[in-house]
Amino acid sequence: MAEHRRGDLRDITHEMLSKGRELAEKNGASLTALLLGHDIKGFASKLTDQANEVWVVDDLRLKNFNAEAYQRILSSLITEYKPLLTLIGHTAFGVDLAPRLAIELGIPLTTDCLDIDFEGGVLSVIRQMYGGKVNAEALLKEAESYIVTIRPAAFEAKEGEPLGGEIVDVASSLKEDVKNKKFIEYVEPSVGDVDVTAAEIIIAIGRGIKDKDNITLVQELADALGGVLACSRPIVDKEWLPKDRQVGTSGKTVKPKLYIAMGISGAFQHVAGMKSSDLVFVVNKDAKAPFFSVADYGVINDMFKIVPALKNKIYEIKTIT
Amino acid sequence: MNIIVCVKHVPETAEADIKIDSEEKSIELSGLVFDINEWDNYALEEAVLLKEKHGGTVTAITVGSEDSESTLRKCLARGSDKAIRLTDKRFEESDSYAIAKILHSVIKNLPFDLILTGVQADDVGYAMVGPILAGLLGIPHATMVKKIELSDGASKVNRELEGGLEEVVELKLPALFSIQTGINEPRYVSIMGIRKAMQKEIKVLSLGDLELNKNDVGVAGSWIKIEKIYVPPAEKQTEYIEGSPEEVATKIIEIIKSRGLI
Amino acid sequence: MDFELTKEQKEIQKAAREFADKELTPELGREYDKKEEFPHELHKKAAKLGFIGCHFEESYGGQGLGILENFLILEEFCRADSTLGTALLVSTFGSDIIVMFGNDEQKQKYLPKVASGEWIASGAITEPAHGSDITSMDTTAKLDGDKYVINGGKTLISNATIADFAFVLCQTKPDAGRRGQSVLLVDNGTEGFDQTKIHGKMGIRASPSGEYSFSNVRVPKGNLVGVENMGFYHTLEFLDIGRAAVAMQAVGMAQGAFDLALKYAKERTQFGRPISDFQATQHKLADAATQIEAARLFAYKTAWYLDQGRIMPKMTCMAKNFATRMAVKVIDDCLQIFGGYGYIAEYNIERFYRDIRVTDLYEGTTEIQKNMIFRFLTK
Repeated sequence: MAEHRRGDLRDITHEMLSKGRELAEKNGASLTALLLGHDIKGFASKLTDQANEVWVVDDLRLKNFNAEAYQRILSSLITEYKPLLTLIGHTAFGVDLAPRLAIELGIPLTTDCLDIDFEGGVLSVIRQMYGGKVNAEALLKEAESYIVTIRPAAFEAKEGEPLGGEIVDVASSLKEDVKNKKFIEYVEPSVGDVDVTAAEIIIAIGRGIKDKDNITLVQELADALGGVLACSRPIVDKEWLPKDRQVGTSGKTVKPKLYIAMGISGAFQHVAGMKSSDLVFVVNKDAKAPFFSVADYGVINDMFKIVPALKNKIYEIKTIT
Repeated sequence: MNIIVCVKHVPETAEADIKIDSEEKSIELSGLVFDINEWDNYALEEAVLLKEKHGGTVTAITVGSEDSESTLRKCLARGSDKAIRLTDKRFEESDSYAIAKILHSVIKNLPFDLILTGVQADDVGYAMVGPILAGLLGIPHATMVKKIELSDGASKVNRELEGGLEEVVELKLPALFSIQTGINEPRYVSIMGIRKAMQKEIKVLSLGDLELNKNDVGVAGSWIKIEKIYVPPAEKQTEYIEGSPEEVATKIIEIIKSRGLI
Repeated sequence: MDFELTKEQKEIQKAAREFADKELTPELGREYDKKEEFPHELHKKAAKLGFIGCHFEESYGGQGLGILENFLILEEFCRADSTLGTALLVSTFGSDIIVMFGNDEQKQKYLPKVASGEWIASGAITEPAHGSDITSMDTTAKLDGDKYVINGGKTLISNATIADFAFVLCQTKPDAGRRGQSVLLVDNGTEGFDQTKIHGKMGIRASPSGEYSFSNVRVPKGNLVGVENMGFYHTLEFLDIGRAAVAMQAVGMAQGAFDLALKYAKERTQFGRPISDFQATQHKLADAATQIEAARLFAYKTAWYLDQGRIMPKMTCMAKNFATRMAVKVIDDCLQIFGGYGYIAEYNIERFYRDIRVTDLYEGTTEIQKNMIFRFLTK
């Protein structure tokens, strides 16, 4: 299930096709990219190299994502063609679409998967629990067809031999307008004074900051380093920092030269937004914080001890030079 | 406006030391503090705010053992009018699909205009119960909701998409929304609230009271079965810096300097 | 005999804990300790949720709960932060004498405003020349027509500079000692009633103390609380609640310090092991937990007596005597677990150490408690 928004194919599409291809080859199956939308031929030609077939359903009523409309098309296609596996992104798009599709069709679903495989015809997946502190290996109930949603950035979008897939136009099965759910408009994120996506040095804070008043302390460190202050979701939920400072799937994606995380546990939603940083330091009291697994350097200590010590060191250097 | 809010009683694990139990199928729960699931906490607050604005009632529902009564009591103290706990030995090991079926079997017989759930649960994080429940009830739904406006028979909600973008969607009522964190500021439990809640009763129902049989719930009624859990392997070779805060700071600055970042 | 808290009491405890953990933060505590100011905003927030004066009757703005419920709240507050917890606890100090002996008019006037957080109370007993010995007062009140005229001074008064009113223990019958004292209510702003702040206290610095001076302060006759010339006895009964509250405060603080020490002991490594692996640390913590639990039972029991309407000064003196001494010692031991870091403000245990010390001194020093206990034992 290809995902696109406002004229762009989303990365998850390529990631799923890459994993889908691997699974198809292993299981002697064929891989189909399914594109729903309006005026999307351009996307289709971009996907022909990555799938055996690219199916296109063009309908004005599919122009913007609408779970209700998409579900109707998908359920009729799945019922007719009975694919072994349907992959959907674990995104705002997929979370709205997949569960209800599964229940309508009575097809087993599992979500937010990091890996998938078939073990003797049964689908086995790896997913995370407890905010990423634990991985779980799970089996799905044996069935002819499965639906799985895939965590963004869980798979690399590998470039393989071009498959030269054929573009197939599929007639829209939408009989009438969707009535229960209507897309109205997009609301742009507010634009603040700091652009974290342009920053070379980012100091990010999370739940560990404990109190709004403590933010100044870390801001001073960021200033001393010539960096900017960013944060994880809970800080924005509490309105301690504006939304444009949030790094993660529902916030900004950043690629700084240096990323220092202070008191952030490292839920995948946050990590997904900073994975491409060159150099990552993680400071957290909790030795089991999942963030450490993606850090270059880890410090298991209280951020309130490390931040002042770092600040002092930088001031020292600055007065010497 | 009659609102049903589905809540879950979960262990707080964000800052807790987690240990995997000997059977490697779940974590050790003893010693962990349990509370209302973070997303559900926002859903509950939103339900109460909507009730305060539009009138009506709020009913909190959970599937869980007697321990989860404290989460329902919290809902009652924070402004929920009624509470229902669905409990049965045979519900154990139910996945989100089975939980949605259990909830559905009760909710379908209740009057409601709106159902709120959290986007997902802190513990298992499937993000499935809400939309499956909506599907079973045959009502419109929207997930990851960050703003709700209600008018006669219809609603307008903002869904949170990626990158800070939101979409505005119009849905007919009755509908189900799964609520994203940050939509409001959940209130504290007040003494007044506790006193009022003490006069409210928690209705307890088990499998026999529901129009379900034992194959609809538990492992038999689930799609997903956990085989094994383990600590995730590190993605990078993380080097740990040890020592006093001063020593750690010195080392960090050395590394940053060697990269030409200072 | 039933040692289990009721469902409602457990809910109250949990609600207080949640509020305290999120709002009575160590950062805020340090800030107000440094500023020597009362946390007004926090106080109003707590009051709005019903945490202040919850044991007042509903018709007087309270929640109609008992002393025990009030104690459960203040225990959680003092556990979360000794400085802020104390400030909130002391904000109602003095209002219980109105609860116990005030008439309906006085209760209507003062209690709802205390419970809503609008007003802060104070009780003026201690005088420069008389500390814990209150058998004779230098502050006098003489009836002049329909007014009392008060002259004199009080010291070490909690909330002196922030309170909206005070109850003042005055000598109304000269030379009659304890049989000639009366309790009078004086509103802030009354002519001749002045307050000065005492700076540089060792601890509980978010709960400002000060001095009161009364120079021909005229208050209506209706401001008399209880019976004229029975003020000493009213005050003693009032102090019964006060002493029990201090015992509870000490338990809360000791528990807070213990929590910090236990956490630190698990995190801090020395010689390649967490210090909680060492028996010397283990025994300190085991003893601390035992002592705290014993004092907690004592404090809860006094609250239970008070809720039964039984005045048990021997019990409250014993509870205070035991709990405050225990807490001073336990917090000292907890600080020791921190080693040198315990001496530094950012580790917070230092504040618990300073804040606890006053419990041994106010509401009657420990020595006075012992005098009284002995007197009850030999009565």
